[in-house]
Amino acid sequence: MKSNSRRKFMKTLGTSLGVAGVVGGSSILSSCNNVESVSGDKIQLLTSSGELVEVDKSMLKPADLPSLSENQKKGREGIPGKSWVMVIDLSKCRNARKCMSACQNHHQLRPEQHHINVLQMQDAEHTAPYYMPKPCQHCDNPPCTKVCPVNATFKREDGIVLIDNERCIGCRFCIAACPYSARVFNWFEPKDADKYKGVTYNIEANVPQKKGTVSKCLFSADRLRDGKLPSCVSACPNGVYWFGDRNEDAVTNGTTQETTTFSTLIKDNAAYTLMEELGTKPRVYYLPPKDRAFPFEGEIDDHHS
Amino acid sequence: MNNKINLLIAVILFISASQIRGQEWIAPADKASVSNPSEYNLANVKKGKEIYQKNCKSCHGDAGKYNALPLVPVPPDVASEIMHSNTEGGLFHKITAGKGGMPQFETTLSEDDRWRLVNYIMNYNPNVEPVLVEAPPVKAKIMASVNEVNKQVEVFAEFDNNGTFEKLADAEVIVSAKKTFGNLVIGKALTDENGRALFTIPESHIGDEEGYVKLVVALGEGYEVAALDLKSAKVGKLKEIPKLIKGGEILWSTNENIQPWLLFSYLGAVGGAWLAIGYIIFLIFRIRKYSKL
Amino acid sequence: MKRIESADESRKLLDKITFDLTRSIVKKDELTYFWFFILIMFVGVGLWGWGIQINDGLGVTGMRDYVSWGMYIANFVFFVAISLIGFLLSSALHLLKIHWAKPISRVAEQVAIAGVALAGLIIVMDMGRPERLLNVFLHGRFASPIIWDVTVVTTYLTISVLLFYIPLIPDLALLRDRLGDEVPKWKITLYTILALGWKGNPMQYKTVYHAMRVLMLLIIPVGLSIHTVTSWLFAATLRSGWDTTILGPYFVAGAFVAGSAAVIMLMYAYRVRYGLKDYFEDIHFDYMGKLLVFVCLVYLYFNVNEFLVPGYKMKSAEGVHLKNLFAGSFSVMFWVVQVFGLILPLVLLLIKYFRKPLPITIISFFVLISSWFKRYLIVVPTMEHPFLPVQNVPENFHTYVPTSIEIMITLFSFFAALTIISVLAKLFPVITIWEYAEDKGIDKKYLSEKPRN
Repeated sequence: MKSNSRRKFMKTLGTSLGVAGVVGGSSILSSCNNVESVSGDKIQLLTSSGELVEVDKSMLKPADLPSLSENQKKGREGIPGKSWVMVIDLSKCRNARKCMSACQNHHQLRPEQHHINVLQMQDAEHTAPYYMPKPCQHCDNPPCTKVCPVNATFKREDGIVLIDNERCIGCRFCIAACPYSARVFNWFEPKDADKYKGVTYNIEANVPQKKGTVSKCLFSADRLRDGKLPSCVSACPNGVYWFGDRNEDAVTNGTTQETTTFSTLIKDNAAYTLMEELGTKPRVYYLPPKDRAFPFEGEIDDHHS
Repeated sequence: MNNKINLLIAVILFISASQIRGQEWIAPADKASVSNPSEYNLANVKKGKEIYQKNCKSCHGDAGKYNALPLVPVPPDVASEIMHSNTEGGLFHKITAGKGGMPQFETTLSEDDRWRLVNYIMNYNPNVEPVLVEAPPVKAKIMASVNEVNKQVEVFAEFDNNGTFEKLADAEVIVSAKKTFGNLVIGKALTDENGRALFTIPESHIGDEEGYVKLVVALGEGYEVAALDLKSAKVGKLKEIPKLIKGGEILWSTNENIQPWLLFSYLGAVGGAWLAIGYIIFLIFRIRKYSKL
Repeated sequence: MKRIESADESRKLLDKITFDLTRSIVKKDELTYFWFFILIMFVGVGLWGWGIQINDGLGVTGMRDYVSWGMYIANFVFFVAISLIGFLLSSALHLLKIHWAKPISRVAEQVAIAGVALAGLIIVMDMGRPERLLNVFLHGRFASPIIWDVTVVTTYLTISVLLFYIPLIPDLALLRDRLGDEVPKWKITLYTILALGWKGNPMQYKTVYHAMRVLMLLIIPVGLSIHTVTSWLFAATLRSGWDTTILGPYFVAGAFVAGSAAVIMLMYAYRVRYGLKDYFEDIHFDYMGKLLVFVCLVYLYFNVNEFLVPGYKMKSAEGVHLKNLFAGSFSVMFWVVQVFGLILPLVLLLIKYFRKPLPITIISFFVLISSWFKRYLIVVPTMEHPFLPVQNVPENFHTYVPTSIEIMITLFSFFAALTIISVLAKLFPVITIWEYAEDKGIDKKYLSEKPRN
């Protein structure tokens, strides 16, 4: 966990030092985390692996680090041509909660803040209980963005509902509007706030978290831009999550890396969406918890409190 | 009373024993002693292999290759020592009940199938004569070309016959397409006696916005060959990108796409009220002016 | 209306009326200082609490991710509610030519201004990022009910201030002319500026009447909007208990109950403190009592609709919410509010004795307190019961318990509202002198006369 956030920190620092003209050296330089000393035209840099390397000063130039506003603009546009969907196979979930911890690491969340939460569910009195991972449903008719007074939360063309924490005023209307309880609020100074002080805000990962603003699952939009699966999907040990682009009708399992046809998967398994009667049109599909791979070992507490 | 103490001691012993054993998973004795009702023969092992490929391989990997998923604890390989420290009854029990990361297959596999799975595992037991002997992978070579008009992939496969490459007949060719996060298997074909296979891309297959598909061709099991990445070819259906945010129809969108009726009613109401307020301010100035009358 | 023909009699009566009604401005004793000291102390403590909240984050409140709106929002709705009485008493009844309400209209406007000003302030205090308030104007999204609320609150505040000010202009001239050395000089300067050099000529009166009429008409849609839009903050969501179509009129009806109670209490306070027995007469309390009965009946009707219809069906999430209100953890508060805030006042006020000043004030006190808790019951229980189970969070996420900071800030809002009312009462007469004098048959020409002495 610690090394992860460290790496993130270095990544952000690394991007502020660009390298021109040197191929091969770039990997060392981009991971430099400390400018050791300056002597004439040479500069010493400390790499992340602890090596001290000397490079010509002229090789270094300030990178074209996207400014906050450009970053925000990019985050609002989304990834062209994509339409992200997630399929959650409830019969495979055994409450390992690897998704929850991977998510909390990625988005720098406090232990009680969940962008994804594995719930213990029971639909009716005598029906079988089951585990249900619940991320943001990224609704196509999102009740949350409808009510935002300042356009801080919005729907992107690729289907992701995102939050701009540099604009959010913290009125929490979206929390009240969300029927899935998918949104969390930074009631206090966020986790490791001192450590991330001065780090440019990344709208596509909601990091660093901002005190007094709302935060929520965003399908790890920053990872998607790098062609990686969302943190929770990759972290699952049980093959619960499928994730992909609805436009190309293919989803990939985060555990087995198997790719399958999205429409067939949801048809063959009689997939459903959560509380479809509310008309929110979720982008997260659930495969029913039939023929469960793991027995339910949790304790069901009162359904509505 | 005495019984209770005995029970207590037993429980304590059990707990400490399970703690000492830590990760180890032992099937209960009565389950472990059950013998396999499914006969150990080629048919059953083959069937077991089929079941294995479908249900177990994704985590446990290929038998003998020790390429299981890096989970904690690591799913043991079918040929591993840990696997074969179990009795057949023990294996059956573990497949049936599951534990921790190991799923229970009681609900998803029939009892016969679970026993056949045990047959398949026993094929790799060092003390048992294997009935299904897999030949070492054959070195092979594949070439492929795409016909965009007929939407066909033509594959030509050869195998290494002691230094000379010869036509590979009856080999399974797997055609996949590169998708955002992985390769989607589109279909399979068999090579003919000339080592050629022809595969037609289904009409329904979706490519990119212009219909381009990045195809990957590979051979089925038993061959040692790198998958062949083909250049993008225009063999797929055009990818439709439906516009999600339509102006004027959706309440949840931004001000750029706001509905005219909403904007006009809002601005009309606010403008009307503030015009009236402005008029009142004007009247206040009038009152002031009239003071000079 | 009888006219007093005799000039002497007119002048004498006018002098008496002016003397009585300016007593609140002139009167200065220990109690006044003590009262302002209390007010400022509580306001200061509340602002200090807000400082802590800004510094440490909203986590100092009892709100958490599930109950993310608590006392502040309940308080906001309460203040919006009491402000609506300004629209009823000083506009609707005027336009309907119901004369008994005339002397009360300025009291109602005081409540309206204080209520709506505090409502605006509380919503800022509830924000996680109050320093980004400007974003509301820079990036305002026209489809958001909050933007509608912000717009309508500012508009209503402006109209209420104007509706307070326009009928005040002739009075200000009167004060300017008559309150010589009885009040500090700055007050006279203030009156002089605000009186706009009022001469009392017919053109000016005509303009004042015209402006008042325009404002009274204007405040009707704006007044209804402010409460309806506030109800939409809840009704626009999918949550059980809020997701109902009658929430708008339900809020409006409830607002009249709360506002009437506030006005009755304020009338009684002025009557006792400033000896205005002959101005806030028993008959006014009697009428206000009847008005309260009427609005209580309307509110009761909406309550029946609001609870009976979903209670009949008991849809899953709705059922959980209603059970919680009727017999669950909120049942005591719910039934106390319904009985002491609605049913009992309704029944008691049908009896003439209870419409006398003191009894009706005591009843109003219970009605007002209940109506605050009623808003609490609208906000909190619904949030405690979302559609999906509340799991994997600390125990204090499950139920909402207000913290001392929240109580401090809520008390601040009450005292800040009382401060606004007190300042208004110390600066301006609590009853419109010129209108009152005219009603008593004094000709307007005597009003603009300089005092003889």
